[in-house]
Amino acid sequence: MKKAMIQTVHLERVYATGAVKTYALRDISIEINEGEFVAIMGKSGSGKSTLLHQLGLLDKPTKGSIIIDGNDVINISEKERTRFRLYELGYVFQSYNLIPELTALENVYITAMARNLKRDEYEKMAEEILAAVGLEDRMYHYPSELSGGQQQRVSIARALVNKPKILFADEPTANLDSASSEDVINLFRKFNEEIGQTIVMVTHEKDEGDKADRIIWVKDGLLDMEKNAGYLI
Amino acid sequence: MESNDLKVMFFLAYKNLTKSKITFMVIVAVMAMSFLSITFFASIIDGLGYEFEEGMIRGQTGHLMIEPQEDDLYISGSGDLVKDIRRIPGVVGVARRLDASAVARYETIEIGNPVLFIEPENEKDVSDYWSSIIAGEYLSERDTDELLIGANLVKSYAAEGDTQKRFDVDVGDKITLSFSNGFVKEYRIKGIYKTGSRFVDDKIIINFDQYQLIFGPTEDIASNILIALPQRGMEGSYTEKIIDLGVSEQINKWQTKMGAVNQFVGSLQITNQITGTIGLLTAFATIYIIIFINVTNKRKQIGILKAIGIKKQIIMGSYVLQSLAYGITGVIIGNIVMKLLLLLLSIHPLSMPIGQVVPILTTERLMTTSATLILASIVAGFFPSRKAADENILDAIFGG
Ligand SMILES: Nc1ncnc2c1ncn2[C@@H]1O[C@H](COP(=O)(O)OP(=O)(O)O)[C@@H](O)[C@H]1O
Ligand SMILES: [Mg+2]
Repeated sequence: MKKAMIQTVHLERVYATGAVKTYALRDISIEINEGEFVAIMGKSGSGKSTLLHQLGLLDKPTKGSIIIDGNDVINISEKERTRFRLYELGYVFQSYNLIPELTALENVYITAMARNLKRDEYEKMAEEILAAVGLEDRMYHYPSELSGGQQQRVSIARALVNKPKILFADEPTANLDSASSEDVINLFRKFNEEIGQTIVMVTHEKDEGDKADRIIWVKDGLLDMEKNAGYLI
Repeated sequence: MESNDLKVMFFLAYKNLTKSKITFMVIVAVMAMSFLSITFFASIIDGLGYEFEEGMIRGQTGHLMIEPQEDDLYISGSGDLVKDIRRIPGVVGVARRLDASAVARYETIEIGNPVLFIEPENEKDVSDYWSSIIAGEYLSERDTDELLIGANLVKSYAAEGDTQKRFDVDVGDKITLSFSNGFVKEYRIKGIYKTGSRFVDDKIIINFDQYQLIFGPTEDIASNILIALPQRGMEGSYTEKIIDLGVSEQINKWQTKMGAVNQFVGSLQITNQITGTIGLLTAFATIYIIIFINVTNKRKQIGILKAIGIKKQIIMGSYVLQSLAYGITGVIIGNIVMKLLLLLLSIHPLSMPIGQVVPILTTERLMTTSATLILASIVAGFFPSRKAADENILDAIFGG
């Protein structure tokens, strides 16, 4: 019996810019199971990023609820949401978003350091995960000294170093060449298969979506029922 | 806040500081220069005021000046009084003087002028005439036909274009003095003095004994008695000791005697306070703005740190620490450079019309300036980083 890792109920996110209201998410109810590798797809502007931001606790929905591993993550304090991001979630951005002042190793271990681990512990964790993404020889490089593909692998290592319940990735390959893109997707597959990492990835590449266990199609802030029908497990 | 939070805070601050060395150096330089601009100018003004007062003390008034009561013209029995005061422990010097005026003549030039009668050796302890001789020599006790003349009366020491009436004399030339009682005598110029003070350098100085020769026998009178103390600030306690001797004359402190000069120094100090305060405010604003811009530039970094789960307090703390590092380093460098400047200027004082000015930096000014600049840097680190840390994560990262 599969355990639900993420549940959203009637999720709505409205942006109000002056008098204009933009419904980025209208009504999204989804369920993602533990150990699932899910791709979110849809046209540009359909609300994919907005959905991922809500799930990753980077933003708050205007309506609806989100349950992660049994926890209501909407009606909790900002402090608890921060703690949740640190301990339970990993986030990979399209544009890597590494801290330029930190080396690859430091970028990765900063979150482990924040968990009150000892220096040799968090360093070892960071080294292991960097080795797992194939960057054992780039640990002391600063982001500016790394290629886009390498930077994205550092950011994946950063997202995974605390062994999160869920890894989120928003178009992680959009800035990369095809070889690097393939590396990233293969890493996701590897972590999903080897350690059962739950992954939610936004992509606009159909072949990347096909590598996932399931695709959730989004259209105009709603689930695209027509397309989803074919992918329901 | 846990101890681990502090660790992360220090780590982030340290990495930011060491990775952006140019920023660090620029901000620290601005800090140090602000520090210098405030303290240096102020210390020159303070030094100027001090030198001004010192010029008066070492030329006109001593630390204490005994003068006759309103109704009297002279202090009588002054010789014994001088001896008694000299016996008070700690007194550095006591000298009596007599004042008169005379018309001085050299060739065709005549100038009405104050004449000061001094006891050359005693005078050395209370004033700086002896060390201000720029040509010839100081008076000795036995000189009867010699005088000292202030540089302000001598043509060769006048500034170019100066039209004031002066004597075209040099050491060895003879000047004729005609006193109010008709007594006339020729004196040879033994020395020319220049203390640097306009108030002091316009006198003719001759020996104390000459007074009796000119005006006839007196009851050991003096116009005033100057007393030098170990340092400023002891005037009150020594006044009491002198009163205890049974002195019934006026005992005036230099501050009282200064009058207009005191007011001048006072307004100098007020000006200094005002410019100092404006300087501090300007420095505060400058530092606030540069650190503000620096932190604002780190908005994205702050957003990312929040996104990966770093606590707001840690992020803010790391920026306050960085600002504190700018502030403390800037103030330390400012202090060091200032100390060096002060050292340099104490070896090579600034020559100003009133004398050799050595800048004075009071501990109070040093502390206020240092504290204000450090405070400015903390405030400048705190508010912008709090603003950035309170911002929506997505806006911070994507620049909404
Ligand atoms: N901060 C915002 N303010 C206003 N509208 C926004 C904001 N973010 C996204 N939107 C709008 O919400 C809709 C969904 O955006 P997004 O989730 O980024 O789409 P996708 O990632 O699928 O391309 C778009 O119409 C977009 O213009
Ligand atoms: Mg998007």
